[in-house]
Amino acid sequence: MLKYIITRLLIFIPTLVAISLLTFIISINTPGDPVDSMLNQSSNTGQSSDKLASEQAYIEQRAKLGLDKPLFYFSITNATYSDTLYRVHKKSHRETLEKLSFKYGDWPQIANYYSLIKKFENQLFLLNVSDDLAEDYRKLKEFTNSLYTTADEKTATTIISNIDFIVNGDKEFIPVRPNFTALQKAIISIVQNQSPHQHYIPKFIWYGFDNQYHNWISDFIVGDFGISYKDKRPVSSVLWDALQWTVLLSTLSIILAYLVAIPLGIKTAVDKGSKTEKSITATLFMLYSLPNFWIATLLIIFLCGGDYLDLFPPAFSLGKLPESAPFWDRFFDTTHRLVLPVFCLTYASFAFISRQMRGGMLNVIEQDFIRTARAKGLKENTVIWKHALRNSLIPIITLFANVFPLAISGSFVIEFIFSIPGVGKLTLEALTARNYPIVYTVLMFTAILTLIGNLVADLLYAFVDPRISFSSGKK
Amino acid sequence: MTEEIKDIPIIIEERESKNAGASESYWQIVRKQFKKNKLAVWSLRIIMLFAIIALLSDFIANERPLMCTYQGNTYFPVFKGIAVDWGLGEWQDDFKNITWKDLEYESVIWPPVPYLPQNLDVLNSNSVSPMDDQEVESTRWKHWLGTDEIGRDVLSGMIHGTKTALLVGLISMGIAALIGILMGSLAGYFGDDKLKMTIASIILNVMALFFGIFYGFGNRSYTLGEAMAEGMGAVAVELVISFTIIIVLLLLANLFAKVLSNIPLLSKKVTIPLDIIISRLIEIMVSVPTLFLIISISATVEKPSVAIVMVIIGLTSWTGIARFMRAELLRIRRLEYVEAAKALGYNELRTIVKHAIPNALSPVLIAIAFGIAAAILIEATLSFIGIGMPAEEITWGSMLAMSRQTPSAWWLAIFPGLAIFITVTVYNLVGEGLTDAIDPKQKK
Repeated sequence: MLKYIITRLLIFIPTLVAISLLTFIISINTPGDPVDSMLNQSSNTGQSSDKLASEQAYIEQRAKLGLDKPLFYFSITNATYSDTLYRVHKKSHRETLEKLSFKYGDWPQIANYYSLIKKFENQLFLLNVSDDLAEDYRKLKEFTNSLYTTADEKTATTIISNIDFIVNGDKEFIPVRPNFTALQKAIISIVQNQSPHQHYIPKFIWYGFDNQYHNWISDFIVGDFGISYKDKRPVSSVLWDALQWTVLLSTLSIILAYLVAIPLGIKTAVDKGSKTEKSITATLFMLYSLPNFWIATLLIIFLCGGDYLDLFPPAFSLGKLPESAPFWDRFFDTTHRLVLPVFCLTYASFAFISRQMRGGMLNVIEQDFIRTARAKGLKENTVIWKHALRNSLIPIITLFANVFPLAISGSFVIEFIFSIPGVGKLTLEALTARNYPIVYTVLMFTAILTLIGNLVADLLYAFVDPRISFSSGKK
Repeated sequence: MTEEIKDIPIIIEERESKNAGASESYWQIVRKQFKKNKLAVWSLRIIMLFAIIALLSDFIANERPLMCTYQGNTYFPVFKGIAVDWGLGEWQDDFKNITWKDLEYESVIWPPVPYLPQNLDVLNSNSVSPMDDQEVESTRWKHWLGTDEIGRDVLSGMIHGTKTALLVGLISMGIAALIGILMGSLAGYFGDDKLKMTIASIILNVMALFFGIFYGFGNRSYTLGEAMAEGMGAVAVELVISFTIIIVLLLLANLFAKVLSNIPLLSKKVTIPLDIIISRLIEIMVSVPTLFLIISISATVEKPSVAIVMVIIGLTSWTGIARFMRAELLRIRRLEYVEAAKALGYNELRTIVKHAIPNALSPVLIAIAFGIAAAILIEATLSFIGIGMPAEEITWGSMLAMSRQTPSAWWLAIFPGLAIFITVTVYNLVGEGLTDAIDPKQKK
């Protein structure tokens, strides 16, 4: 038994590594720039109006988030890819440069081109232009900026000729002309000396251990889940606040579901064929297929104020009563608000569990030992509750494995609809706000809990059914 | 002696043909059992009805007339519209940028519902109830199920939503079934001990796979990205090219491996525990919470689209089918007739493909029926919370979500929800009916 548990725990490791990689792959492919999204929150400080300051802020923020490191231990890519590309600060610039070097195959020239754009832009910003040229000046900056994200020869040439027109249009732009000519030359030389076949050659780059994945996963293991982009609090504390609601909600609904489902499942199995049984089974099936977000919406529309009945508060909206209010007042208030969400979470799972229970019970009841027990003259109740129940619990135990992950992420939609500040709602909000540290932590935890749940279910199996033994291999 | 040996194959052949007969009658039994279940039969009929509605949605609900006579000429604008959508035709100048309703026809036949889901009826905006007086010319133009906040017809949205729901269910489960059957049969057929490869072919296959992915996907990532922006057709073409590259390289590798296997050092055979590898993969897939994974992946997609949702659901929900398939093949491999066929030198692969897989497919069918229900539910959930599905796409889930903004509009909550409920229920009922019909315990 112990050996079995240890083997299972050992299997956890590759599984978790795979899941963490999956999570990481999703994270690096997310559109948008996390540094930008974090800086935008604080942009109202007015600093961003100054270009240099905002660039400095960007670089600092990127370093703070650890995003200035290479992504992974190694990279398998094509020969045009530069192993120093990750040092370029802006994500959008990196993407453009990668594409350019893929297309034209000559990284040193591309790097030179990039630094020339930067040089030109910096000089442009230092320029003092008279008011009647302000419009031209603004356009010039805009064009230059768009060069950073242009990886296409034709568009680049058009932009360059637009800049050319403005720069050579007025005397005031003379100081920037030499740099601009250099930029023009660089672009021509890139196109002329291109070697696009380079990207057919594979290349392996080793980055070492100081990389984003390594740092993320080693922080994760020691319990540091990073910082939420939104409110800059540690993810663990944000998650802890939300977890309390989700666990409360899930525990209530799971207990209720099992309390109702097991007796109901047994009843329908024992009375198989009777009219009440048939109608109960049909109702259970209906409940099982009823999407709970629909029922939740209907309940809100018809029972929560609005144009119809006003039995429950329309939104969960915690904290209406101050902390100083008497405990029982707060307790009843919260209970009142929890009735509908718990109901919605419960009914579907209880329908499902009782159907499983019924199936398991039906299987057992037809077996010989039950007939023997009846023949012995045991009371029907003893036969059912003592002999049949234990053996019919097996399908229920598989479901029990889902309890753990469900406790964290099971109530997504319900929390969303009733706006309960739990993990589900937190995650959905994090997803739409691109607040990824929260998303990854929840994803990792749910996966870990699923693994634990599966293990617990396997162990419980052995507990309920002595015929199952783990010592003689799996199967 | 020789005569005896000759005899056996004949017996086996008889057995096989009997078996073939049995497998036919097996399906007959399944059909008979299924037909006994009235509820399941009716569910199947409802599914067919929905499928017909989905197929004909453009003819049932459309802003264009089915047939009209305009300025002396007869037109079939709905057909024409479909042709234009498929790139097979172009509108004549008279019909560009017009409101079909406002044209003066000599004679006209409108579809039963004369609206497209995205048409705005300005006169009936702000969610008009089906019971209230509507600002329409006649009952012909009535919004039978009301309108939403900006005056879109709910009935039309329901009809076109059927298309999305069924497509998502079918395509995603099609992908899942393809992956699941392939993975499950590989694991079940080869097990842990039957896949033996020479060192040469292992090395060459790994290399081919590496270069295949490198040239097929790594090097074509920009091309694929551009195709993604262009549309589904372009993506399909590019994907076919990518996979062709991989397959050609793999074929070449295996050809070379044949040659290289003559070198003694490289011809040593190694057993590959395929079952363990695939089972571990399934375990990993199962421990990822599917809905959560789908939501996170669809949130990373820059431009949401129904196609991507279908692919993601398909890629994440094949494990159940693979498990069924694996268990069935492991069981069938040990059955007498397969063993006997093997002992007599019949090609085992042929036996498996011809006899075992068809038998193993029946539990897969059950998984697919339930899977379609689950996929439709996931699609509705995604549209409802507004993640992963394009905002302009009108689906049952997105209509239901609109009812959250206008709680007084009960028709926005009742009808789309009912449609989701009925679809999910009928697929579940069919799955249930199939389980009863296929379960050997019930067979008499």
